[in-house]
Amino acid sequence: MTCDKIEGLLTAYLDGELGPEEKSAVEQHLEICPDCASLLSFLKSAAESLVRFPEVEPRASLREKLYAIPARKKFRFNPDFLLKPSLQPVYAAATVFLIIFSFYMFNPDKKLINQAVSRQFHRGYSQFEKLYAKAGSITDSLGAYADSVLVSLKKINPLSKKEE
Amino acid sequence: MLVDLYSKKIFNMSYQFAGSFQEAEDLTQDIFLKLHHSLAKYDFKKNFTAWFLTIAKNYLIDEYRRTKWEKKKRDDFDEHLPSAAAADDPELSLVEEEKRKVLWEALNRLSNDMRLAIILKEIQGKKYEEVAEILDLPVGTVKSRINRGRLQLAKILRDRKESAHDM
Repeated sequence: MTCDKIEGLLTAYLDGELGPEEKSAVEQHLEICPDCASLLSFLKSAAESLVRFPEVEPRASLREKLYAIPARKKFRFNPDFLLKPSLQPVYAAATVFLIIFSFYMFNPDKKLINQAVSRQFHRGYSQFEKLYAKAGSITDSLGAYADSVLVSLKKINPLSKKEE
Repeated sequence: MLVDLYSKKIFNMSYQFAGSFQEAEDLTQDIFLKLHHSLAKYDFKKNFTAWFLTIAKNYLIDEYRRTKWEKKKRDDFDEHLPSAAAADDPELSLVEEEKRKVLWEALNRLSNDMRLAIILKEIQGKKYEEVAEILDLPVGTVKSRINRGRLQLAKILRDRKESAHDM
């Protein structure tokens, strides 16, 4: 086997994950190749040092900041919620509104637009009033109709006569 | 108190992940803030340490995915190492310190993805399956990434030793 191939097998060899054939091939190669043998020793050394990697002591100022967290968390404003995807339609609607609004604000015929809007508004309002009046007359006529139905029912029902 | 019990562990976890002392302090604060926000959701039947470490780990991974820590400079670890390591044999302790310094530098020279996988597997002692789950990658990919990382680390250490001999 070439050194490149052996290199690819060294970590598995170290972890004891090779089959008997590959294992003996690696061992035979290591006996005759000082480069690969040296690489294996560095692999072992790196693995050992990583396992015993030292812990560093945090600074006292950090601990003080951590102690203060429960007190300040109430006042902390977290703007992350503004980036929620569910708010995208709101932002889209706001953008459309702003575009329309800017067309209105910076339009040279702003007065004409205002007049047209006010005319439309009044027209709509008067139509609404008419509809309201119509609805009132309909309820009146319905009431009258209901009364007459009740009167005629009383005339037809013999029981009501007896009670009288 | 939570700070006394967990600040060192969380800080070291952040430091190994981010590689910068300042960045690790910021991350530790963020993680404790997240803990205070999540305390109401804690199920008392669960192991608190495991639950908190999961919060911390997830936060670090999310932060890593979001920023990739590409533009942030990693520190020279020796600045913050426990001084002279208070060992019985000062000579041995110096050798160990030198070894760790070289290893930290070598770790810094790995790509972010590789370093993260190595930290989780080798320093934090996770299994391949756990690393795969954390990084949301297939186990095979994680295995080959870690193996390549270990090999790269060994080569960096070897080259460093050779260049030290040449000098």
